[in-house]
This record gives sequence, structure tokens and C-alpha cells, in this order.
Amino acid sequence: MIEVSRLVKRHGTKVVVRDVSFTARAGRVTGFLGPNGAGKSSTLRILLGLDSADAGTALIGGKPYRALRNPLRTVGSLLEGSGAHRSRTARGHLSWVAASNGIPRSRVPEVLDLVGLGDVGRKRVGGFSLGMNQRLGLAAALLGDPEVLVLDEPVNGLDPHGIRWLREFLRARAATGRTVLLSSHLMSELASTADDLVVIHHGEIVHSGPKGDVTTGHASLEDAFFALTDREDRWDS
Amino acid sequence: MGLLNAELRKLLSLRASLVAAALCLVAAPAVAAVNGNALRSRVAEGGTGPEGGLSAAERGLEGVMFAVVAGIVLGVVVMSSEYTANDGDVGGGRQIVATLTGVPRRGALLLAKATVLTLVTAVLSSAAIATGIVAGQAVLGPFGLAPWQAAGELGWRLPGAVFYCVCTALIALGVTTVTRNGLIPLVVLIVNSSAISVSLLLSKVTSWAKYLPDAAGIPLFAGETAYTEQLPPLAGATVLTAWTALGLAVGAVAFIRRDA
Repeated sequence: MIEVSRLVKRHGTKVVVRDVSFTARAGRVTGFLGPNGAGKSSTLRILLGLDSADAGTALIGGKPYRALRNPLRTVGSLLEGSGAHRSRTARGHLSWVAASNGIPRSRVPEVLDLVGLGDVGRKRVGGFSLGMNQRLGLAAALLGDPEVLVLDEPVNGLDPHGIRWLREFLRARAATGRTVLLSSHLMSELASTADDLVVIHHGEIVHSGPKGDVTTGHASLEDAFFALTDREDRWDS
Repeated sequence: MGLLNAELRKLLSLRASLVAAALCLVAAPAVAAVNGNALRSRVAEGGTGPEGGLSAAERGLEGVMFAVVAGIVLGVVVMSSEYTANDGDVGGGRQIVATLTGVPRRGALLLAKATVLTLVTAVLSSAAIATGIVAGQAVLGPFGLAPWQAAGELGWRLPGAVFYCVCTALIALGVTTVTRNGLIPLVVLIVNSSAISVSLLLSKVTSWAKYLPDAAGIPLFAGETAYTEQLPPLAGATVLTAWTALGLAVGAVAFIRRDA
């Protein structure tokens, strides 16, 4: 379970995350929805211990990320693509990631096959497309067979086949009682994948709850989303 | 152990390691041989030869400068590679995200990087010195010494040279941890250690220059230097160690406190 509570992040004088609270429960896919620049990545970066919060807490299984030992065995994450250095091979990248968390080397070919990169494991990452990079990032997230998945815009660059595969894969993960937090600016993607929705706009949570609650009274999730975020724009002006 | 294993894999699989190995295992002995050859021709034509055992033995130590540059390359790239962004059209990711999500304990991570850097630099600089001595003395022919004689003459200067290379590499790591970009530290540190030494220029102006890291460290291995005033070797080692500790400490504070 992921619990984010009263999170605040400032960059200089600009507040990019404003008193953000939400919960991503086990056994459900939680969609983290918002336009680009709404504060999704900033929130996830704090959740993953990459950036520090100015106030508030972000806990995974009751602990801050930085307190986890061998965190990849608990939390798999995808942020900014794979992050693999371009001069390394896909296998080389996953091998050091596995070594850093005491994950057996045998997982490397397993996850490469799982994400459909089994044939290019020995190729250098410098020659990878955006979609291949995303797949490699997913492979790294799955190395430790983690209880919790945190994925930032995972469908970026995936072909329709890959998107469909990922949707079914994440649904299956949640069905086995695991926690999946998935951010996207694409409503259509989350409409078909998420159980719960957390909508963020201008750094603030404008709605959170089961997907049905968000869409009640609107023709579609898209209508609901624009109704929620437009209201926010009017407040600003 | 997993952490050290991971960092060692990362360092050794970078192209910079290949460059460093080439500097130490090819360039260092090659230059020692070229210089040895020039010296032998001079002596054979009746010019001034090496005066005494130490001077002759020092033929091999010319390779140290290549090991210093190799250490700087490794020290810079071991950290700058973490922050090199992939192209924007493939997601623009940086390795530091994968590194820190795997190991969020940043102090331990930096320590692991410093440890593998020390290990690799020590091995490569030892190899550069050893091959330099063998090549340099062999080319000197009748005027040269047997490698073990040369090593005996050099004595404490051998570990001194390795220590100097390791400290320089660690300072490069500390500086790059602060700058995150490798280009400026790489250019400044390499130019300073090979072409124009800032410390040497400053030493013409102030005697305090002898406390700068490279000036303090050079007496650890070099017999004759361009410096008019320098610290005794043990004091130099102490000062160089202090600079290294300072560089790593500043790097650690920046690494632990800043957002990734």
C-alpha cells in the first residue's frame, strides 16, 4: 500500500506539489491522472526517495522509500524511461541493477523475455527506440518481482500491442493482491486500466476515489477530467 | 557486497575504462620506451647519462602521468555517466534514477563508488608503473637497470605514485559529484595535471602553492621537479590526503542533500 500525506514540494518560490494526499491500495490499480506539468512526476520522485519533500510524508508499506533495504524487491518503478547508459547492453544494465539488490542473475533473461526484449538483450541501449527503452525500464521494475509497482507514463512510446499487453499485465498484478500506481496524462489509458483514480492539477489533488465516482454525472472520464481541471483553472484566474 | 559488485560492473563496462586501460597499459610503457631510447642515444654519443641509480631508475616513472590522467578520467566518468541524459526522443532518462531507486542510501552508494574507483585506479596505475619500468629499462640497454633493481632504487616512490593516482581520482570524483557534468572537471583536471599546472604557476608567486593537492603530492614519487619549493614526502602525503578527504566530503554533502 502507498500512502501519501500532505506532501509539499517547492522549486524555488514555485509550489509544484501542494498538500497532496492519496492512497493506493493493494489489489487495485490506482491511476494518477493529470495534464503534463501538474505535479505527477514530482510526487512520484518524492515517493521513490529521489527528491526530498518540503513537508508531508510518502510511505510504501508504512516506510519511506529511503528506509527500504534492497528496495527493488519491494517496489518496482519506472521513471524517465530505462535510465540505462547508452553504452551498456540491456543485459548489462539489468545485471548491475540485479546485483545492487541481491537479485539472482537468472531473473535478467526472464524479465527481458517477459517484456519482449529477449532477442535484443545483448544489443547496446544507445540503439534502442523509445518503446524499447520503456520496455527495458519495465523489465528493471519487474526484476525483484515486487509487491508494489510505481510507473510514470509507462505507455509512452509503446505500440498498441505493447499497450494492450501492459494493461492486461497490470490488471493481473493487481488481481493477485499487489499494488499498482500508474501515472498518465492520457485519460483513455487509465479509463480501461485503473480501479481508482487520483486526479492532480496545478499541484493539487482535485479528486480521488473509485473510477466510477469520478465519472458519475459525466458522459465519459474525459468529460469528468475536463470538468475537474477547468474548475481548477477558474479558481486560479 | 552486492552494491560493490554493481558499482564495479558499472565502472568496468564504461568506455572510459577502456581509455584508462589504454593509457596505463599502452601509452605509459610506450612513452617510457621512447624516452629511454632517446636517453640511450644521448649517452651512447657521449652525452650526459643518468647520474646515479635513482635517476636511471626514474625512467619508468614517466608513465605515472598517464596513470594520473587515467585516474582522473575514471573518477570523473564514474559519476558524470550517472547524469548523462539519453536523447529526449527515447525518454531522456538518466542512470542516476535507476541507481538511486536501487540504492537510496546515498552515503553508502558514494562510498561504494569511491571504493571501486580506488581499486581500479590502484590496479591500473600499478600496471602503468610496472610496464613503464620494464619497457624504459629494457630500452636503456647497457645503461639501464634490471626491473627489480630499478624497483628497489625507487622504493617508497612506487606506492607513493599509486597513492598519488588514487587521491587524484578521488578528488575528481568529489568535484564531479558537485558539478554532475563531467566535461569541465575533465578538461580542467587533465590540463592541470599534464599541460599547464596551476599549482606550478602559483608557486612562482606564493610559497603557499606547495600546499595545493598536486604540488603536495608530486614529492611522493618524483625525484626532480620543476617546483623550487616543495613539502617533504610524508608531509605532502598528509596534505594530499586532507585534500582528498575534503573533496569527498564536499561531494558527499552535495550528493546526500540534493534532489536527484
